[in-house]
Amino acid sequence: MNTKKIYPTYFALGAVIIYFMLCFLPGVLGLFYSLTDWNAYSNQMNYVGFKNYIDVFKGSSQYRTFIWNTLVFTVVTTILKTTAGLGMALVLTNDRTWVRNFHRLVIFSPQVMSYLVVGLVFKSLLHPSAGFVNNFFKDIGMNFMTKSWLTDLNLAFGTVMTVDTWKGAGYIMVIIIAALQAISPTYYEAASIDGASYLDKFKYITLPLLKPILVSATVLNVTYGLRVFDMVYALTNGGPGNATGVINTAVYKEFSKGNYAMGTTLSSLLFAVVLALIYFIIKAMESKEVEI
Amino acid sequence: MKKLLALTATLVMTTTMFAGCTGTKSSQTNQETKSIAEGEKGKSSSKEGITLTFGSHQSGLPTTGVVQSLAKEFEAETGIKVDFQISPDSQWRDLIKVKLNAGEAPDIFCVDADPLSLNGRILPELNCVPVTKEEFVSRMDKDVLPSISYNNEVYGITFPGKKMWFYVYNKDIFKELNLEIPKTYEQFKAVCQKIKDSGVTPIYEPTQNGWHQVLPLFESGPMYAKNHPGLYEKMNNNEMNLDDIPELLTIVKQLKEFSDLGFYGENFLSDTFENAKAAFANREVAMVLVEAGWAFEVIAEHPEMKLEQMGIFTMPWADNQMVGVNPASNAYFINKNSKNAEAALEFFRFLARPENLQKRFEGQPGLLELCWPEVPSRFPGEFKAYIDTLEKGTVMQAAVSYVDSQWMDVGKDLEDMYVGAVTPEQLVKIISDRRDEQAQLHNDPAWKK
Repeated sequence: MNTKKIYPTYFALGAVIIYFMLCFLPGVLGLFYSLTDWNAYSNQMNYVGFKNYIDVFKGSSQYRTFIWNTLVFTVVTTILKTTAGLGMALVLTNDRTWVRNFHRLVIFSPQVMSYLVVGLVFKSLLHPSAGFVNNFFKDIGMNFMTKSWLTDLNLAFGTVMTVDTWKGAGYIMVIIIAALQAISPTYYEAASIDGASYLDKFKYITLPLLKPILVSATVLNVTYGLRVFDMVYALTNGGPGNATGVINTAVYKEFSKGNYAMGTTLSSLLFAVVLALIYFIIKAMESKEVEI
Repeated sequence: MKKLLALTATLVMTTTMFAGCTGTKSSQTNQETKSIAEGEKGKSSSKEGITLTFGSHQSGLPTTGVVQSLAKEFEAETGIKVDFQISPDSQWRDLIKVKLNAGEAPDIFCVDADPLSLNGRILPELNCVPVTKEEFVSRMDKDVLPSISYNNEVYGITFPGKKMWFYVYNKDIFKELNLEIPKTYEQFKAVCQKIKDSGVTPIYEPTQNGWHQVLPLFESGPMYAKNHPGLYEKMNNNEMNLDDIPELLTIVKQLKEFSDLGFYGENFLSDTFENAKAAFANREVAMVLVEAGWAFEVIAEHPEMKLEQMGIFTMPWADNQMVGVNPASNAYFINKNSKNAEAALEFFRFLARPENLQKRFEGQPGLLELCWPEVPSRFPGEFKAYIDTLEKGTVMQAAVSYVDSQWMDVGKDLEDMYVGAVTPEQLVKIISDRRDEQAQLHNDPAWKK
């Protein structure tokens, strides 16, 4: 215990109360509502135990598809965004790259656009007959590449994940660039004197020193991925059929149907999964201070 | 140099920000002054400055913009502005429910209204201003009042007349290929095959809007009811469900077969209803499932098309030769929690004036009748003669509970079937189960027996 601390504990009380009221309490209330039959059509609310949770997993429930889609989306976009962000950051911190700041700006710019705008723009670009993408492929004689990007069962989800990666990779790149610039060049100079190759330097200097920032990027990507809604809603609205539905599109659907209890059940499940995953990610990536 | 540049940029941005703040403040002050001045002018002018928000789906408002034109006239007369917020069809039903549940609904909203789904869709007692005592209610067709009423209170205003869906076909293409109007499914298939072989897409089936593909399933309700006497009543009493109707499964299978045979074209999963007119007028497609009046919309947008080039026939799915009549249509409602409810009511009164009803009718060529008996209908002779030969009945969604309320979900299920994610049998099971689920959610007494 640090007895020389400047501020007393009760100074944190305001923040604790606000956090408790605005974050913790609604979460706990959500858990409580998920154990009831709360809906828009009745003033009464009855305790139903874990019925809603059982409904999510029993029989031919579509919810499992949505949960699976959410997990796939999270894993794939996290890997893609981190890899792409890291790759671009390495290229754009290299002294030999021409007009680096301009490239950084262009790659980061999708981040500032609204998800709905990106969704609508890509919906238009990817239209099978009138869209730019297919017409471009046709014009350069690559007809075999013209696809129903957003309505083919095998492609739709991949397309959504690709567009999301396009939008989000720039942000990860900027974070990593900041971390790369903070690495002292003396490490690289010393390694060069020792005869280390570019890959050696990347493996033994860059990556270990980037670890804390990669943990943060992963946590950001995972929490975003699990909560994804806008991109899916704008691009495919969960279609074709329900093929690209995710947990939050299902939550939205349940709330719109007036089935609030099921909406809160799905939200609570998501809440639990996010908490658990974040805990394990941080634990797994946590390590002692890097020694070089 | 860089520092100087950064400093200049910061200064410019800060100045602009302050200028912006000052501008807002002064404009706010101006507004305040204006409203005070207006307040002094008297009660009528106090409505100036009110902007009514009007939320609707694309299909809820005529594409000709006639309602927006009437709103401009209303603004000129009263000073009350109407701001239209239009959402895609596929999202509106969910969106308006979420907005109502969250207390963020617009002042006026347009939804599809029918007697069985109205409460589930918008909870009128909780969310809408009753208009029962308004003079215009007595002038509306009595048959449509149940669609906009709940527990003996009328809550909305509606304009379109009863709906009937037909395949509008291009007579020229039929003549060139020596084709007759199909009366059975096999004939329909043969006609489509010949059209497809000629290089034209036989049917325009837009699934992007989410609702169009569902029509054959439930507009064929009269045929189901004829084959199974007392069907609608039994379904509402939970004695039968959708999976007890073999003809429904037959139709679902036939829809799938048409998709597999390529009769809807390659990209129908990306097609939108709004593009149907151009595709039809340009002879890219030969048939579109629409209301008969749609032919006039085609003519309005593509004057080279003539009425004589278009004919209608009823959906021959599962050898159906009846036509479904739906007395329900979209209707406008006033948000009970709106601060501008009185101004919204004034807008309703304005729209219901006889001269404005006439303007609206004339400004929407696709509409062949209004549900206002004072405005005479205008079915073309040939269409009327054909419709008169058909046996009619009420469509399933207007007579059976928990059908219309899952309309958009069924649209998604059909997409699932078209892409091969579910079979026709699974689809019918899904929609039957969803009916049960919705009934239980509504605590329907028939489902508690």
